[in-house]
Amino acid sequence: LTPDMEPIPCKPLFFDLAMNYLEMPSLEDKLESPGKKGASITGFVKGFLGWGGNK
Amino acid sequence: MSKETNTKEALVKAAYSDVNKFASNQEYDKAVKAVNRILGVAPDDQTALHCKVVCLMQLSKFDEAHKFIEKNRMNGTLIFEKAYCEYRLNKQLQALKTIDEAGMQPLPDKLKELRTQVLYRLEKYEECLEAYKDIIKNSSDEYEDERRTNLSAVAANLALDPNKDVPDVP
Repeated sequence: LTPDMEPIPCKPLFFDLAMNYLEMPSLEDKLESPGKKGASITGFVKGFLGWGGNK
Repeated sequence: MSKETNTKEALVKAAYSDVNKFASNQEYDKAVKAVNRILGVAPDDQTALHCKVVCLMQLSKFDEAHKFIEKNRMNGTLIFEKAYCEYRLNKQLQALKTIDEAGMQPLPDKLKELRTQVLYRLEKYEECLEAYKDIIKNSSDEYEDERRTNLSAVAANLALDPNKDVPDVP
């Protein structure tokens, strides 16, 4: 009394690509060192060029 | 008084540096603890609130993340995060509503991708197929193969319906 076997479609593979877009917000302005270092280097370069230009 | 402000600022800065460190190591349980230290002294810090939502989601705590978004009235800003939680909590109609009612034109890429996955779960395969064709045409990232696999899944589902034509998959 077992019913006949019959083929059924398999569930297709489906990827979750939206999850890859989940990112932390930028913490750049919340962290001390990288921002300040960058500023002081550009400040130095600017100052240096400014000094060079005046001469 | 000013000393107190200084202590608070120092604490927040140190905690943010921890959040940054743990998140880049994908240690989100530790990152949540660091975020909680910030929220303990600055409960309205929007960046910290956002961080907490992302960490909870990375930990697959979608129900908690969703409630946290609503409790902190971030419905209007964290559209993607809110809709993604709803998608994972199997509230597809609500997820679609969240995305569409945000009224963003044009829809940012991440919301387009999510909306298309929601359409798949809602079995709106024809609309889903068109959406994938559009995304594939306009994107060039490392997930092209996965996206084409999804497109094939949509086509396979359409092919099961005897009333519909089997679409051409580009």
